[in-house]
Amino acid sequence: MNDKRKSPLRVALYGMDGRTYKMMVMYLQGPCKGMAAVVEEIDAEVDIIDADFVNVEALLEQKQAQNSTRPVIVLSLQELELDNVLHVKKPVKTADMLDALMKAEAMLVEKQKPSEDVRINKKLFINTDEQKKTSKHQTAMHLDEGNFNAFIGSIPGLDVNDPKQFPNAFYNPKEYFQGYFQSACLIAQTKKQVLYLNSGWKSLIIFPHNHEIWLDADDKQLRAFAGLPINSLSGSGMSLTPASAQTLSVKQELSKFHNMDAFLWKLAVWTSKGRYPIALDITKPVFLKHWPNFTRLIVTPHALRIAALLIAGPRTLPDIAETLKIKPQYVFAFISAAHALGLIKQAKRQADEIIQPPVIKNIERQGLLTRIISKLRGQKS
Amino acid sequence: MSQYKIIFTGPVGAGKTTAIESISDVPPIKTDATASDMTKNRKSSTTVAMDYGIMNLAGGEKIHLYGTPGQERFDFMWEILTTGGIGLILLLDNTRADPFQDMKFFLDSFQSFIAKTNVAIGVTQMDLSDKPAIHDYHVQLQGMGLNPPVFCVDARIKNDVSLLVQSLLYSLDPELEE
Repeated sequence: MNDKRKSPLRVALYGMDGRTYKMMVMYLQGPCKGMAAVVEEIDAEVDIIDADFVNVEALLEQKQAQNSTRPVIVLSLQELELDNVLHVKKPVKTADMLDALMKAEAMLVEKQKPSEDVRINKKLFINTDEQKKTSKHQTAMHLDEGNFNAFIGSIPGLDVNDPKQFPNAFYNPKEYFQGYFQSACLIAQTKKQVLYLNSGWKSLIIFPHNHEIWLDADDKQLRAFAGLPINSLSGSGMSLTPASAQTLSVKQELSKFHNMDAFLWKLAVWTSKGRYPIALDITKPVFLKHWPNFTRLIVTPHALRIAALLIAGPRTLPDIAETLKIKPQYVFAFISAAHALGLIKQAKRQADEIIQPPVIKNIERQGLLTRIISKLRGQKS
Repeated sequence: MSQYKIIFTGPVGAGKTTAIESISDVPPIKTDATASDMTKNRKSSTTVAMDYGIMNLAGGEKIHLYGTPGQERFDFMWEILTTGGIGLILLLDNTRADPFQDMKFFLDSFQSFIAKTNVAIGVTQMDLSDKPAIHDYHVQLQGMGLNPPVFCVDARIKNDVSLLVQSLLYSLDPELEE
């Protein structure tokens, strides 16, 4: 073990008077063959405590409060019942001390492993082969009315296109995987930390630095899971942990990377099933902060038209459907996805309320523009 | 028959020629020449006059797709080129030193045309350089009092170019039917 380490373990001493302190320094240099060297507390990797001269439990609590993760070696005449410490019984025998130091060193090596993973993560988000992240750079999927219902599914007993049922045509993202995913992304971005979302379902890792996620599931599996209320599944089983060993497997599967926004957009579409998010009052106008990056998103039916209309001015959801003469479910699905990305806001300011949407002029070339769009929609990529 | 046209503009290497090629029904007429000035650092040839493609519509109408020369020394042509245009597609190369400066330059240059029509912006080469992000472009644009479509675009992908042009047309009139 000694041979593997080029420099001695750096240890700090506690509960030792001046004389004992000097003796321990010489003991570690001599009989312990320089395996450890005494340093200032701030520079130490391992703590050695003489439990016969200091309240070791109080000292350990203090260290815990300081989030110290250093291995601790406790020296004492009596056996002690302490968790997570290495014990060396007095009188200290060299073999016991070397054994404790080697164990401490092994603990340090073990603790360094996550750091290596972090380095691997960093390499992933700095130096990954972007071209191989096929999901991330996938061009938009354009849905038309014909395949939309089959794509998003429906809620039994609810007709989202019936204005009388509008008050019930909402959903709460927090009750679905969407809500948990959004919270997890927020935490990962705040902490700037790669996090693993434990859902009891498929592995999901969030890489906040490059705005990516990695999911070990295909779209079919995600669509099925997105529509199930979480509280009836795993409930409190959802948790977030720093990603470590899991990321090692990620290295091999770059095709499972997704852009965070594109993933959330898709997840919201499937969670909504044509409903609108509960946070919005559909009797009040909403506005669109800016155009979504449609070339990398699922383009739901009439999404471009809805976006263009909302960029022109705030409108209520039913008003959008009426103006564009489209089914409300298309408006609700788009609004749900854009709301998940933070692009849709309720017009709460007085100025927003009083601004009337500008009258859209029927320009004389409307027929021509429609024919251009038909042409473009007819072209396959 | 009226001449309808969509104008593609942007700096050297942004993908104007490729974008026109993606949606044109005929092999585009290219007027590339070997680059002999600062352009040669970015590509071996560049457009010195203009690119030209055609979209044939049902009923025999044609939409002319014009790409402006990338080099600023040809900007005297831009006004002539935009006369009677339906709208502007601005392509920006995200690997260039200052894409925001490029954006401001072209938006200023085509200001009067954009005011009369509209603009949609495609950001290319984002797989090589993901910064600035699309959101950063929106921040810059909103500072300029503009809120046009801004999409990540691979000019080689027909669907990307098609969506960008569609967004331009819907910006002109959201009530256009699909």
